[in-house]
Amino acid sequence: MLDPDISTADALRLLTVPDHDPMRMGRRKFLQLVGMGVGAGALAGPLGSMGQGWAAPVGPTDGIVVLVGLFGGVDGLNVVVPYTNADYYAQHGDIAIAPSQALHLNGSVGLHPRLAYLKSLYDQGDVAVVQGVGYPNPDLSHFSSMATWMHGKVGVDSPANGWIGRWMDGLASDDLLRAVSVGQGLPLHLVGDARRGIAVPEWGAGFGGGTDQHDRWMHTAMRAFAGAPGSNGAWHDRVAGTVRDLIDVSQKVSPAFDRPLPDGSLQKKLTIAARLINANLGLRVLDVGFDGFDTHANQPTALADLMADLDNGVKAFFTTLDDSFRSRVTIMTYSEFGRTSWSNDSSGTDHGTVNNHFVIGRGVKGGMYGQQPSLVGLDRWDRMGFHVDFRSLYATVLDGWMGGGASTVLGGSFPKLGFFDQAPGVGVATGSVPARAAGDWVAVTPTRIYDTRIAPRLLPLGPGATGEFRVTGVGGVPATGVTAVALNVTASSGTEVSSLTVWPAGAVRPDIADVAVPRGGSVASLVTVSPGRGGRVRVMNDLGAAQCTIDVVGYFRSTAAPRLAPVTSFRLLDTRTGKGGHLGVLGAGASARVKVRGVGTVPATADSVVVSVTASAPTAYGSVTVWPSGRTRPTVPSVAFAAGAATTNLAVVKVGSDGCLMVRNATGAVHVNIDVLGHFTTGARGRFTPVPAWRVLDTTTDAVAPLGPGEARVVTVTAGHGVPATGVSAVLVHLAAHTPTLDTSLVAYPYATTRPGVTNLSVRKGGHASTLALVKVGAGGRVTLRNALGTVDVVADVVGWFTS
Amino acid sequence: MDPVELAHLLRRTEYVAKADRMTALSGATRAEAVADVLAVPADPVVLPAFIDHDIDGQGYDQWVFAVQWWLDRMTDTVRPMQERMTFFWHGHFCSSWDKVNSARAMLAQNQMFRSQGLGNFRTLTHAMALQPAMLYYLDNVQNVASSPNQNFARELMELFTLGVGNYTEADVTAAARAWTGHTIDEATEDYVFVGADHDTGVKTFMGVARNWNGPGIIDHLLLENATTKLVACKFLTRKLWEHFGGQNPASSLVDELAQVLFDRDMEILPWVTAMLVHDEFYSAATRRGLVRSPVEFVVALQHHTGMRGADLNPQWYVEGMGQVPFAPPNVAGWKTNAYWTNSSLFGGRAEFARDVTWRLRRNDGNAIAKNHTPAEAVAALETLFGVAFTSTTRTALLDYIAVQRANEPWIGWWESTNLLTMAMMTPEMHLA
Repeated sequence: MLDPDISTADALRLLTVPDHDPMRMGRRKFLQLVGMGVGAGALAGPLGSMGQGWAAPVGPTDGIVVLVGLFGGVDGLNVVVPYTNADYYAQHGDIAIAPSQALHLNGSVGLHPRLAYLKSLYDQGDVAVVQGVGYPNPDLSHFSSMATWMHGKVGVDSPANGWIGRWMDGLASDDLLRAVSVGQGLPLHLVGDARRGIAVPEWGAGFGGGTDQHDRWMHTAMRAFAGAPGSNGAWHDRVAGTVRDLIDVSQKVSPAFDRPLPDGSLQKKLTIAARLINANLGLRVLDVGFDGFDTHANQPTALADLMADLDNGVKAFFTTLDDSFRSRVTIMTYSEFGRTSWSNDSSGTDHGTVNNHFVIGRGVKGGMYGQQPSLVGLDRWDRMGFHVDFRSLYATVLDGWMGGGASTVLGGSFPKLGFFDQAPGVGVATGSVPARAAGDWVAVTPTRIYDTRIAPRLLPLGPGATGEFRVTGVGGVPATGVTAVALNVTASSGTEVSSLTVWPAGAVRPDIADVAVPRGGSVASLVTVSPGRGGRVRVMNDLGAAQCTIDVVGYFRSTAAPRLAPVTSFRLLDTRTGKGGHLGVLGAGASARVKVRGVGTVPATADSVVVSVTASAPTAYGSVTVWPSGRTRPTVPSVAFAAGAATTNLAVVKVGSDGCLMVRNATGAVHVNIDVLGHFTTGARGRFTPVPAWRVLDTTTDAVAPLGPGEARVVTVTAGHGVPATGVSAVLVHLAAHTPTLDTSLVAYPYATTRPGVTNLSVRKGGHASTLALVKVGAGGRVTLRNALGTVDVVADVVGWFTS
Repeated sequence: MDPVELAHLLRRTEYVAKADRMTALSGATRAEAVADVLAVPADPVVLPAFIDHDIDGQGYDQWVFAVQWWLDRMTDTVRPMQERMTFFWHGHFCSSWDKVNSARAMLAQNQMFRSQGLGNFRTLTHAMALQPAMLYYLDNVQNVASSPNQNFARELMELFTLGVGNYTEADVTAAARAWTGHTIDEATEDYVFVGADHDTGVKTFMGVARNWNGPGIIDHLLLENATTKLVACKFLTRKLWEHFGGQNPASSLVDELAQVLFDRDMEILPWVTAMLVHDEFYSAATRRGLVRSPVEFVVALQHHTGMRGADLNPQWYVEGMGQVPFAPPNVAGWKTNAYWTNSSLFGGRAEFARDVTWRLRRNDGNAIAKNHTPAEAVAALETLFGVAFTSTTRTALLDYIAVQRANEPWIGWWESTNLLTMAMMTPEMHLA
């Protein structure tokens, strides 16, 4: 029968490690993990506050993996259909999927007909299909098979930990929120010897997430049920610790549930997973699962529904995922086993061995991997042989995406499958401006300025070894006037778990680990550091030996850089009306050049522009990229969208030397419009200050009515929460629209001015959408939000402001 | 019998140590108390009429009635050990309402566990194998000679009797053939044997070649073959101890108790008696070693608050706590201790405790705190929930009262409200 989570069978015995000895990961250890410089005693006090022990935000080049469990053992032959294989049709009989039904990937295999979205991702080159995955000497029990997959090693009777857990054990830092399973219970693969993941129920953060002061007093006291381990027994302490975890986790994850969630178990779970990633709590692993794949009877209907769930779930995930994480997230499926190549007389299939799995994401090199096992000569109860050890799948993900550690985690070396073609976060580091403003930020084209692997060094950094290099006057960074540089520091091939520290030459080395070095693999982190003596910076490795490469991605300068001048937004390009000189959709691969300097209120001296890019009525999943005319097109798109869904995103684009921007559509056909919200020009005065998100409108609460058709709602955005009452030229607002009754759009503009003919956010009937909007502040520090059609719930948060 | 030991025995066998039971058994020896606990009614209950009233056509209302009826019965029956054994077998010979989709079949199985729960294990195994609930749940209705379905045959050995590793794939194949033809008459929804679908060929099971039939497989495992019979006795003993005693019983203890089951021809009553009178059952490790399951938590709260299913609607919360009566998560059933103690499932318990709090406040919103010193308020909680708080817990509760009264000296309804919830979420309330 089905095997939904850690609890089942031998997977059950996995969880008996904490059962034997709950203090192994009990309160004492937990407090050590959470400590982060705060003594356990301080945290254990009755009024001790949490908050310091949570994970740091995920680095811009840290990979994130989302595991999707297909419980019960999915029939891989009907998921990835070998539609030219006569044996398949002979053995699968009346439940086989006809060649005309399969969604053809190449000349011989196709996807289940309900996987249309996955097919579109495959066509984009974002899906690796790994065939023939299994392991030696499988048994056909759900429980021991699931235990094997979760454990990540073969032939262990009662595994006590899982592969993700062991990976977490090897991380340099200890954080409570590294891995989350969305659902009930904690699956074995998220249990390590020293560290464990966290389970977040799909129905909400619930108890412990409340903010009423009486509740807070109660929560504080309940956390103190977990005192020092006492004489009441380990289980007493464990229960008390669980209550504390409950409250801590609820307070941290509750924002992921403050907007409506879709129906459908997997859609809901994957939407929650995407929101948790967007919240940037430090999560590296998300785990979701759904069951029903144990299709011994009546498989065609059941599997069709499950495949639709999978397809919709993955779609919901990518629709929800913030663009800034798009290139850092990979989805991977798993299942305890495959099924028999022969169908049974109940129109079902029985427990099998090998299976096909998907690896999905922008870093993935799409295509077919592994090999479909032969079906030739198989008798009724024969099982297929395997070609790809499942540990190769794990090894590829661990070393290729998660920063390394595969051989340690898996207890051996397994051939890599090579299905990643770019590292996590490619293109992201350059756009990630450190929050601590130390002057005006200037981005440069990333340039490598230090590399231990090439001359003159040619050697990795040994234990305690220091390297020194210049950061000013190189890579586009000026020789003078630089207050700090932003470096993307990559450590690779570490022989020990170690850390790198980066500090100004001539200064005392701080006791801070800037980059966590894993054993093997590579990991990168964005570091901001001031130039020291001679414009130089030092890097030191703590333990073992590691290779180190450093790219400069930008700098802060003390003299004035171009600053922002917000404008009353206006439409620059609209392919539906011909505005901007282009009428008609942009086809696949089509690009357009749009003049921006001297247009509207953009001066002829503008350095860059802040634009809102909207893709309307796309015919396929795809993306639109906006970049400076005359420059190489970057690999990172400005807005990504799903078929049929109008999508808007904010972009800051340098203006080309000819005063133009380039716009290109990747796949399908799409209408594009571009609205100008502001420009960066030398002499302008807008300097940006981020503030903690300040909710200025929330119509999802009972007290505030949603926006009706044509309704304009005025909100005050100054004089509160870090935004001053005067001297504010514009605010950056995160706008979210939920479940409109008709397809509609929102526009934000200065209060008491004429409404501009632009769109900040488009949202489909019943859907959800969000974006950042740059809005000039109108009279009285107010802005107007207007809804076009139907009724819609709107949530607006001010996240920063610009000086006037 | 020492009152501490007696209270422990009653919590493990009757959910809570009720005052009247403590009084009634105060002069009993351990053996006498155990015998009393196990003196369950012979013909305990009539199936409730609601099983024929499928209001929404999808069985939901029947399930709600069934859950409330069973939890209320656990709370109020004169010998709750009968319901504890019923639940133990429900989690062992699992069937789920979700798949079986028949109130009649699920309640028939429930009633069998109740009437035979302290009877003979082999007889019970024979009976459950041929009940519609199991025939549907593990697909033996699909198991025919021309196309064997292995689901039931496999789990019979893996999860019901022997444990994984004590049989071979060939044994599964042979057993599946032996169980062919044991199915359900679709007209009556009763068990029927269809000879035409039964495989009458010679099958080699556990090295014995003969024309095996399903029930013969059970007799071989639990009667004829001393090796598998002893393996099964140990497998079952470990599970029984983990359910009533705690984690990881010593092998010697398992062997000792398993021998009772083995020697007494798989009779359950002497086996359970041997466990409950054993010194190890009263050791400090055992007394501190078991976490209340969600169902046990609900029953305890029903008893202490005086409210029942119709008031508390536990069916809304059991899924969040991780234990849905009549719907185990899979054929392996529920586990113990660490299976329950994670922040997700405790979130479900906290939601339930919060709801119980609102319903308690309906009677007297401020009874716990009003006119009470902080120490008196904490004492009132101990009386209400039948627990003795540890010093850490007590300090935490007093700290809350101090903060609350420092900010709101008038002692409003918030204080009693939050104290009730906190008391239900103390560690003491979640240990069996």
